[in-house]
Amino acid sequence: MGSASDGRGGSKPMDAVSVHNLGKTYTYHHKAAGFRGSLVSLVRREQLQKLAVDDVSFSIASGEMVGFLGPNGAGKTTTLKMLCGLLYPSAGEAAVLGHTPHRRERRFLRQIALVMGQKNMLWWDLPTMETLLLHRDMYDVPEREFRRTVADLSEMLEVVDLLDVQVRKLSLGERMKMELLAALVHNPSVLFLDEPTIGLDVVSQQRVRDFLRTLNRERGTTVLLTSHYMDDIEQLCSRVLVIDHGRLHFDGPLASLVEQAAPKKIVRAVYFRPVSLGALRDALGDLTPAEHYDPLRVSVEAPRDQAAHVAASLIGLGAVADLAIEEAPIEDVVRRMFVARALEAAR
Amino acid sequence: MSSVRLLWRLTAMNVMTTIEYRGAFLVYMLNNVLGPLISLLVWLTVSEQGVALPYTRSQFVTYYVLLSVAAMLTSTWIGAFLVEDIRLGNLTPWLLRPAPGILSYIGNNLGEKAVKLPLLLPLVAIVAVVFRHDLRPPTDLAAWGLFLLCLPAAAATAFFLDVTVALLAFWLDDVRGLLRLQVLVGAFLSGRFVPLELFPPELASFSLVQPFRYTLSFPLEVLTDALSQRELWLGLAAQLGYPALLYGLYRLLWSRGLRRYSATGA
Repeated sequence: MGSASDGRGGSKPMDAVSVHNLGKTYTYHHKAAGFRGSLVSLVRREQLQKLAVDDVSFSIASGEMVGFLGPNGAGKTTTLKMLCGLLYPSAGEAAVLGHTPHRRERRFLRQIALVMGQKNMLWWDLPTMETLLLHRDMYDVPEREFRRTVADLSEMLEVVDLLDVQVRKLSLGERMKMELLAALVHNPSVLFLDEPTIGLDVVSQQRVRDFLRTLNRERGTTVLLTSHYMDDIEQLCSRVLVIDHGRLHFDGPLASLVEQAAPKKIVRAVYFRPVSLGALRDALGDLTPAEHYDPLRVSVEAPRDQAAHVAASLIGLGAVADLAIEEAPIEDVVRRMFVARALEAAR
Repeated sequence: MSSVRLLWRLTAMNVMTTIEYRGAFLVYMLNNVLGPLISLLVWLTVSEQGVALPYTRSQFVTYYVLLSVAAMLTSTWIGAFLVEDIRLGNLTPWLLRPAPGILSYIGNNLGEKAVKLPLLLPLVAIVAVVFRHDLRPPTDLAAWGLFLLCLPAAAATAFFLDVTVALLAFWLDDVRGLLRLQVLVGAFLSGRFVPLELFPPELASFSLVQPFRYTLSFPLEVLTDALSQRELWLGLAAQLGYPALLYGLYRLLWSRGLRRYSATGA
C-alpha cells in the first residue's frame, strides 16, 4: 500500500520526473475590503506569505500515467508549474528528464508540453493550423513528420475538418482537442495536463480520455494529470498522488487509496419481494442501515473483511434479483480523506 | 531552429491577427498621422498671427510630414500587451516554448508596422499634396542614407524602452499609469509635439541626451541636416548606444522578473 512517506524518493535513471523536498511560498499583501482598505494599503502594506507547496517528494517513471488529486488551492497546479519551469521553487529540487525545469533550457522545453484547461496556447483569432505551423518551425519538426502527426492526431481527436477554422469559433470541447493537438505536434516525452476536461460535455470528456490513453500506450508518453473529474483519474491513472494544503498525503495505486481512505465496501441487494426491517436487523445486527430503508433495495456499508458475510446474509433473506459488492465512489473516498485532514488540522 | 524563419512566421501571424480587427486598428493608428498633423496646424496658425518663430512655414511642413512617416516606423504599442500578459499570466504559453519569449513581441511590432504602412502612407501622401508648395524634401542622398540607418536603431530604442517599462509589471501591481506617462512624456521629448530644436534653452541640453530623442527626433535631425559634425557623431554614438543599453536592461529585468512570475490563472 502506498503512502506519502514511502513515496519513491530515489532518483533512478528511468525516472522522467523526480522531485525532492519541493516547496513554494507566495508573497502577497493584505488589503482590507472597501475604499478605506485601499487607502490604507496605499501607504502601508502588510506582506504575507502563503506556503503553497510544502516539502513534496515523488518520482514518476518514464511512460507512467499519474493522477494528481487535491481540492482547490491544494498545490497541484503550483507543483505542475514548477515542473514545467514556469515557477521558481522556494525550496527543494525538481528534475524532469534530467533537466532543472526553472532553467528553461531549450532542450528541456522541446521535450515537454503543458495543456491547461483554462489557458490557451492557440492563437485566438487564427485557425489552429497557424499555431501548428508555428510549432513546426519552433520545434524543428520535419515537414513529413509534421504532416503525418497532424493527420494522425486530428483523426484520433476527430477534428480533421476543423483545422482551418478560427479558434474563437470553436466550441469549448473542440478547442481543448486542438490545444492537445498543438501541444503534441513535437511529440513530447512528458505531458503535463492541468484540468484537461474541465467544462467539457460527457462525450468530449470521454473522447479526450480515450485519446490520452492511446497516446500513453502507443507513444509511451509520460503523463502527469490533475483533474477534478474522478472519472479522468479512475480511467487513466493506475497511480495517484494526493496533495492537500501543499503537502503530499498519498502516493500509490488508486486501489490502495480507496482501501486506505474507504475501509468499507457497499453491498447492494435487489429483492423480488419486500424484506422487513426486523428480518434485516436480525440478519445484520449493527450493520443494519440506520436510514433510507427500502424493502426492495437494500444497501449496506460493510467493513471489507465482512462484505462477503453480509452478502451471504442478504441472500438468505429472500429471492434476490441482483446482488453487488462495490467500492465506495472515488469522489466520496477523496472527499472523506480531505474532510478528515481538515478536521485533523482543526484539532 | 531558424530564428529568422520563426520571426517571419510570428510577424505573418500578427499581420493576420491585425487584419481581423482592421477597423479598430486603423482608428488606433490614425494617431500616427493625426498627431503630427495637429501639431503642424497649430504651428502654422501661430505663424499666421505674425509671431516670430525660429522655423519657417516650409520647415514646419517638411518636419511634420517626415515625422509622421518616421513615427510610423519607430512607434510601438507593445508595452500595454506585455503588461497585461504578465499581470494575467498570458506569458505562460511563451515560457513553455523553446524560443525567446520576446520574439513574439518583436513579431507583433513588425507585424503592426507591416499593416500600418500601406494603410497610413496614402494619408501622409494626401497631407503632402495639400501642403505641396511648402514641402521641401531633403535632396542629400547621404543624409537619406544615414536617416535609413538610424531608423531601425530608433525603432529598437522605442521598442526596448517600452518593454523595459512594461517589465516593471513583474514587481508592481499596475504599471499602466506609468506606461501612459511614458507615452505622454515620450511624445513631448521625442519631438512629436515640438521640434527639439525649439525647446527653451533651460531644456536644450537635457533634450539632447535623453533617450526619447533617439526614438524619433534624431533620425529626422540627421535627415534635415540640422546638426554640426560633432553633434552628428555624438548623436550617432547615442543612437546606437541606447538600444544596446536598453537591450541589456531588458535582459536583466526579464531574467529577474521571471523569478517573480506567478503564471496566474494557469
